[in-house]
Formats: sequence, C-alpha cells, structure tokens
Amino acid sequence: MLFRPDREDFRLIGFYTGKVLFGVGCAMAVPLAVAVAAGETNEAYGFLIGLSLAVTVGRATSWLLATDAPLRTSHGLATVASAWLLAPVAAAVPLLLSGHYLGFLDAYFEAMSGFATIGLTLANDLDHMARSVNLWRHLMQFLGGQGIVVVVLTIFASAGARVGALYTGEGREEKVVPNVIRTAQFIWRVALVYGLIGTAALWTTIMLAGVTPVTALYHAVNLFMAAFDTGGFSPQSASVAFYRSASVEFVLLPIMVAGAFSFALHYLLWQGKFRELFRNIEARALAVSMTVLYLIAVIGLGRSGTFTDFWPLFRQGLFHMVSAHTTTGLSSVPGRMFFTDWGVLAPAMLVSAMAVGGMAGSTAGGIKGIRVGLIAKSLRQDIRKVLYPEDASVVETVHTVRDRPLDERMVRPAATILLLWLALYFGGALAGLFYGYDLQMSMFESTAAASSGGLSVGVVRPELEWPLKVMYILQMVVGRLEFIAPFALVGYVIAIFRGRA
Amino acid sequence: MNPRRPASRRKVLLWAAFAGLVIAGIVAGAEALRYPHPTDTAVTAPDPQETEVATDIRDPVECPEPLPREGQEREGGTPGGISRRTSNELYDCPEFYDEQRIRYRGEVVGAVLRRDEGAWVHLNDDLYADVGPLPAHRDFRGGNAGLGVFIPHELADEIEFVGGPQTRGDILEVTGVFHRVDESTGEVAILRATDGSRTPGQPLERPTLPARRAVAVVMALVMVAVIVAERRHKRRAAA
Repeated sequence: MLFRPDREDFRLIGFYTGKVLFGVGCAMAVPLAVAVAAGETNEAYGFLIGLSLAVTVGRATSWLLATDAPLRTSHGLATVASAWLLAPVAAAVPLLLSGHYLGFLDAYFEAMSGFATIGLTLANDLDHMARSVNLWRHLMQFLGGQGIVVVVLTIFASAGARVGALYTGEGREEKVVPNVIRTAQFIWRVALVYGLIGTAALWTTIMLAGVTPVTALYHAVNLFMAAFDTGGFSPQSASVAFYRSASVEFVLLPIMVAGAFSFALHYLLWQGKFRELFRNIEARALAVSMTVLYLIAVIGLGRSGTFTDFWPLFRQGLFHMVSAHTTTGLSSVPGRMFFTDWGVLAPAMLVSAMAVGGMAGSTAGGIKGIRVGLIAKSLRQDIRKVLYPEDASVVETVHTVRDRPLDERMVRPAATILLLWLALYFGGALAGLFYGYDLQMSMFESTAAASSGGLSVGVVRPELEWPLKVMYILQMVVGRLEFIAPFALVGYVIAIFRGRA
Repeated sequence: MNPRRPASRRKVLLWAAFAGLVIAGIVAGAEALRYPHPTDTAVTAPDPQETEVATDIRDPVECPEPLPREGQEREGGTPGGISRRTSNELYDCPEFYDEQRIRYRGEVVGAVLRRDEGAWVHLNDDLYADVGPLPAHRDFRGGNAGLGVFIPHELADEIEFVGGPQTRGDILEVTGVFHRVDESTGEVAILRATDGSRTPGQPLERPTLPARRAVAVVMALVMVAVIVAERRHKRRAAA
C-alpha cells in the first residue's frame, strides 16, 4: 500500500538536501580564490553570488528543517535525487555569469554534465574562458565523481552513520569498510594520493610538451580531475589534442583506468592484494571487453583506411578506447572526424565501450563490468547445463573479494538494470532521431550522455534544440544515480497524489 | 513511535510552488547580472564570407569524394591551386584534403608549444577569432573551431599575443600541407605550415559591472547574517 509522505519525510529530505547545497557553496570558495588571485574581478563576484546563494539556502534549509528523525532508505534515495537536481542550479549561477553560456538551461546542463562526470559541454568560446570558471567546471567533475554526498559526509562527519542511505543512493553499492564515514574518507585518501602522483606526472609531461610551468600546473590539475573522475572536460576546446604529445596521452591512460576501478578494488590493492586484479570478476570482464572492442575497432580503422601505419593506429585507437570504456571522454581527434573519417565499425565500438563503462562503485558510468560479468557467467552456466548430462550439477563461481556461487538473486537485478540502461540509451537516441539527427549520431550522443562517456560527434552544442538538452540532462542524472534514486523521487511525487493518508 | 502526520496535498503544492518561484528568481537574477548585451557594446558583425560559421550537423556532408567506409580504397583529392580552407571543411572532408597544400587563418590560442624543428600552435578560425572573444559580446556561435598547426621557429618567434582569458591572440595566416594523419608523430588532422604572416592581437579589457558587485556584497552579507543567526539559535537551544 502506498502512503502519502509524512511531514517528517519532507523535513528529512529538505534537511539533507540543504547540507549538500551548503557543501557545494563551500566548494565555490576554491574558484573564488583563484578568480581573486588571477584578477578576474567580475568572475570573483559571480562566484561570491553563487557561494552566498548556496550557503544561505543550504544553511537556512538545514536550520529550519532540523530533525533527529532516522533516515530511511527511501529518504536517502529521494534526498540524493533532489540534491543532484538542485545543486547544479547553484553551481550554474557563476557559469551563466561568466558570459560563455547562451542561457540558464545551458549553464545548468554544463553543471549537471560536470557533477555527473559526463564531459559534454555547451560552453561557447571555451578557449577564452576565465581560468576560475574553467577550474570550476573541472572541480564539479571532481566533486561529482567522488560523489557530492560523499564529499559532504566527509566534511560533516557529525552526520554520522545515519547517512548510509545517502551513500548507496549515489550509485555506490558497496561500502569499502563497514563504516560509511570511513569509506568516504578512504575514497578521499585514494583521490588525494592519485591526485599528487597524477598531477605531478601530468605537470611534467605538459611542461615537456612546451607549456610554461604555471600554465602547465593549471592544466595538470584540471586534466587530473577530468581523467581520474572520468569526467572528460578539458581546459582547451581541442581537448587532449591541444598538447600534441603522446606522452600526455600515455600518462592519462593509467589515470583514467584508475578512475574506472571501484574503490573496493582500490582498497584491496592498497592492502597489497594485487592478485585481486586478476581474479576479480569485474576487472576480468572489463579487461576482456576492452580488449575485444579495441581489436574490433582496430580492424575497423584498418579496413576503412583511417590509419595505415602501426603507431597512429595504436596510439589513437588505444587512447580513445580507454577514454570511452572508462567513460572519461577526453579525445585527441576532432569529434566530427569520428563521423567523417573513422568508418562505422570503430565508432560503433566506441559507443559499445561507453555503454559498458567502468566498475560499479567507481567514478565511471555505464552498465558496469560487474553486470556484464554476471550475465556472461550466467549465460555460460546455462550453456554448460545444456551440454552436460542432465543429472550433473553445474556451478559457476563469482569472485569479488572471495569466491561465491553464482545464483539467480545476483543475475536478476543485473539483468533488470541492464535492460534499464539499454532503454535509457535507446530513449535518448530516439529523441535525437526525432530531431533529424541520423542513427549513428543519435546513438553516439545518447550513449555518451547517459553513460557519462562524454565523447561527442558534435550533436551536443549550444545550438542544440532545448528539448534535447533537457533529455540529455535527464539521461545524465538518471545514469549517474543508476535509476533507483530518481525512481524514489518520482515515487514520492506519485505518493503525494495517490498515497493514502 | 510518533504518529504519522501526512502532509496535506495543498501545502505540498504550495511549498513546491514556492520552491519553483525561488528557482525562477535565481534564474531571473542571474540573467539580469550577465555581461552587457550587444546593444550596449558595439560589435561589428563580420562578412559571412570571411568567417567560419558552423553548418548544421544534420546537413549531408558534401565532399568531392564520398566519405570513406570499411573495405573501400582511399584516393584523396586532386591537388589544385592553393585555396583558403576552414577547419570545418577539413574535418568534413579530411580524405579529400589529405596531403593538399592549403591556406589557413586563425587565432593563436592556449600556448605556443616549442619543439626541436618548430612549434605547435592551435589556430581557431571561428567567429570569436574575427569578432573578438566572449564575454565582450553576446554573439554566441557555439564552441571553438580550430586546427593544430606546426609552424617554423621564425614564425613562432613573431607571436606576441596568445589567446586566452585575458588576451585576444595574434591571427596567423599560414600556408602548408594538411595531413589527415601525420605518420611521423601520429597526430590527426594537422597542418604543417612552411610560411605565414601575423596580425597582432591585444590584451582584453573586461567591463566593470557595478550591479553585479553590489548584489554580490549584499548576498554575502545576507549569508553571514543567516550563519550568525543560526549559530545563536543553536547556542540558545543548547543552553
């Protein structure tokens, strides 16, 4: 039976949404400081407005709606969804004030693309954008990739274990350690360690590419956030092609792969359990998927004559396959040329790679390796059952930390979510077809938006029809939160009108 | 256990309407505080023939040679006279222009990346290269369009202004060979220029926006007031 939500339900959702807004407001202090340091006065005022707005609304909401009531799963899910819809409103304000966006919808799209680590952009004239605003785009990817709620949890650890429901609602299914706060802190630690190493390596290679030290550091910090959080924004409009450096691309490869690893796997590697890398079902599924898709893409690029020599084929093919599969979206080829020069097979493999995505509980999007692995194992079990004698007992095992026998309770949810993902991809593609884009473009862009893949053939641009912008925004948030949290929010709305008192 | 107190639908709708109004207010406020409209800042629209204007991506790509597909031989275009090409033309028909000598013109953006035999520059040939960078105007023409160009050291030495947040970059007009794929470096869609000329850029001056400054100060004061009031309330409640 569906019950109409209680006043306490709304208080709880408002209370925690307010905390998240407050957290986003505090984060704006970073680009505000950069704007002041860089002498970008107008942008500094823009950030002060955005910061003041988010902090005022956030603090006022969590003050007026303060409650000690326990947070149930449904509250957590609805809170996460509402926070993810409202945080980009505040984050979009300094973007709009930067003067590089057509209107508020575009700025909101950009903020959502940032938080959801998509990488599609509606920025006009990015190459003249203020440094502070460009940094904010990348910082949003960092916050979103870590999970806005996780970020807030770490800052306001006093919120305590009650907020576990928020954690799961943000598309993170497993706690790395039993305590959710310590899990959040571990996620931060991983990001900071990778951040120091990755930024230093990028800084060095970008300087070797010919960029001056201070500018190279700025680029390195931004690129690290875009790569590790599988975001895909870049400081320049030409993306990674700007550096004309294979070294930069090869430094980015392990950073993107690390971003696509689940934090649970990072934790095991952190403890020195390197064998897990070769035994974990998800790592194996992704390794197989990436290898197969890469080989097919290479065959396609060879047959279409795009590359005739080994080095460009290896370099460009590998970089884009890893970028697509980790759902990062960094590119060293103009997006238009995927359509005009890469034939049809290679772009189709990029779409497939974006659709599969990274690992569950990572910063990557997409169907996720665990689901692909479970369904593949289930398929193999069914085939073996047919081939073996009828009285034979066929058992498949799944390894995630330890071996577990495969059972239907694992496979069914994986298959359900897989179907939802496919529906999301095709839904967006249908909308693209409706507006006259051809199938290849529509499928490419829809998958990029939903899976957080971020590569683009150019459909997503400021002149894009506004209903398609709205469609892609919905795909981004639904994909990032993996369906359940947005469904819970919709459930609340339905319960208001149809639930019993 | 507390008894349930279901929220009345009317109240929920009223609160939802209030939240909607707040968001509408934020949008309207932000729109009002944007950089001035072109009517306030003089912008001269360039001759459409001289400016790279992006075509609709849905339009069929019209190349002298059909777009490549799997299993087909690539022939490339027939070299003709040296004509000026835009980045969109090159990306639309990379096979046709492959290994052809062309002229190309664009604004230097980002950085000049010096290497042993020359320097890489990224030259944007979009509207912003002609009219000027955002946010000095509101003639939005989408993302940047440009091309990676490898230039000789002598030309790189001439570059004075590199386009960025506070600078309008030099405009370079170069002549060189377009490579769909540069076999020696593995780069895609680049121009190896042999010579060129430069039109100087300039530092950008951003207008001061007193209304934005005033709103920012007021909002910051409101924020501080809310935080102080909340803290006092908490202290009183604790006492």
